[in-house]
Amino acid sequence: MTADLIALLTTTIALATPLLLAALGELIGERAGILNIGVEGLMLTGAFAGMLGSYATGSPTLGMLAACATALLLGVLFALWVVTLDVDQVVAGVAINLLAVGTTGVLYRAFFGNTGSALTVAAFAPLAIAPGVALLAPLRQPAPVYAALALVPLVWVFLFRTRLGLRLRAAGEAPHAAESVGVNVVAMRFGAVLAGALLAGAAGGYLSLAYSNTFVEGMSAGRGFIALAIVVFGRWQPLGVLAGSLLFGAASAAQFQLQAAGVAVPYHLLLMLPYVLTLVVLAIASRAARGPAALAQRRSLCATAD
Amino acid sequence: MLGRRLLLLFVVAFALGGCEREQRSTGFRVALLSPGPISDAGWNAAAYEGLLAVRDQLGVEVSQVETRTPPEFEEAFRDYARRGFQLVIGHGFEFQDAAAKVAPDFPRTVFLTTSGSTVRPNVAPLVFRLEDATFVLGYLAARLQPDGKACAVGGMDIPSVRGTFVAFEAGAKHARPDYPVTVSYIGGWDDLGAARAATLALIDRGCRYVFQNADAAGPGVFQAARERGIYAFGSNRVQHEVAPTAVLASAVIDIPHAFVAVARDVKDGRFQARPIEETMADGTIAVVYNPALAAVVPADVRHDVDALAAAVRARTVAVPYAAL
Repeated sequence: MTADLIALLTTTIALATPLLLAALGELIGERAGILNIGVEGLMLTGAFAGMLGSYATGSPTLGMLAACATALLLGVLFALWVVTLDVDQVVAGVAINLLAVGTTGVLYRAFFGNTGSALTVAAFAPLAIAPGVALLAPLRQPAPVYAALALVPLVWVFLFRTRLGLRLRAAGEAPHAAESVGVNVVAMRFGAVLAGALLAGAAGGYLSLAYSNTFVEGMSAGRGFIALAIVVFGRWQPLGVLAGSLLFGAASAAQFQLQAAGVAVPYHLLLMLPYVLTLVVLAIASRAARGPAALAQRRSLCATAD
Repeated sequence: MLGRRLLLLFVVAFALGGCEREQRSTGFRVALLSPGPISDAGWNAAAYEGLLAVRDQLGVEVSQVETRTPPEFEEAFRDYARRGFQLVIGHGFEFQDAAAKVAPDFPRTVFLTTSGSTVRPNVAPLVFRLEDATFVLGYLAARLQPDGKACAVGGMDIPSVRGTFVAFEAGAKHARPDYPVTVSYIGGWDDLGAARAATLALIDRGCRYVFQNADAAGPGVFQAARERGIYAFGSNRVQHEVAPTAVLASAVIDIPHAFVAVARDVKDGRFQARPIEETMADGTIAVVYNPALAAVVPADVRHDVDALAAAVRARTVAVPYAAL
């Protein structure tokens, strides 16, 4: 029983981490008024670039940097569209997703052959914390897990305890009012999008360099969209996002444990578990939740919003 | 997904470039609809290799497109048929409804699905009885560790995948009637991380031999096996190259051989719509060992496994086949 719980907790943390990274990034963007549904594509790009970086250099750390940098580049493109050119955010996000799926697939085949290859890259190893103590196994996670957890308070302090954070939130709540008191809304939003892209890239890098040590096409497998739901679930709060990521991670982990235990429930129902749980909690939790007032509104059209 | 399809179509057109001009004279064209990326080193990769074999051995023009959903299956079937392709292959059980729906509108095109039971004047299933090989692999697992436990990880629970697991379990129970086999599905074909998590959970519960049938997510199974030092079995294609230290053997389909045979019949106008079944007896299905791990299988076990494979080929032992 104890062993089962330890395994459940270990898997929960491992599965929650990419969601946490991506959702924290999306949270920063949404707080500035930018809805980026391209998280999925940024993650996939990060996973591919991370693998490629580690493959080329033999270092997962450099791979992770490549993941973040490449997603950041794509983030610049997205920011140019939605912030500078004021394009519809949903359309731009879809474009990012399509671009990422196509480009990673094409490049992967160009580098590693049409029918795939035996590809194993250097990946982050779990930290050897208190080896021999079975109860502490859930703590033995690769370094990016700890970085993701450390980001939760950091993002909170940034958003709610710094002047820059206040300006960023003002850009998402009342951009015109913020502009009238001298906040550079364009700069705030541009920066927020880049921060979000960087974290989505890190989430992708985690997938190919920490949770596994290879890349397959489409390996982000919808996690970017779950991260979007987690931001709503977490009521646009870092702690709420942490809770949502852990809940989703726990539900996924539990469903694998139940199947492995041979529980005689149709597997479709078990697979639904994390999604149903998210829906239920969203229905309850989001009733009182309200997003940033200017979220996903185009600046040219939002004059009436504030 | 549309964007991805177009992009990939574009790339494949590039990859296959040249053949269009040179071989237009024969006029015979074959298309493949794959349900996942052909870079999966498994089910889809094997079909792509089959398509290239058709191109090279029959000197015909080929095309491939990745389709994910039933509306996409139908659209791609229609698109190729409209452009005059004489043979369009939907790679998997899930393509038969779309094939049956589109076929009456294009009587001059043959629609082949690689599994299923749907037959129309121009629709036929090409069924690979991979069960023959997974039966042998199950037996191998149970013989290697009689007090052990085996497990299987699948993408989605479709008859062609479940059938390979049922036969795997039957093979294990052929060696020891109460040999435990647990099955886990991850609900998709791409999520490497989910496949790894599912496999780790199975290993935690005592699984020592894991068979995977999850396409692109399969490497996640191999990774978990390698991490915990257990052995894995590959599917559809020789997979020990994907994980040389973990994959003991693979249940393999010689898709190129099967595709070329069907394409030749269609091209020569000899094709009759009927269920085509490829088995171990035909040589299309086989168990391929990883030569690097040959020492893991003791000589007496290897001898008995080979004897069982011979019995499967001679049909003197009953392998359970999936109802499709």
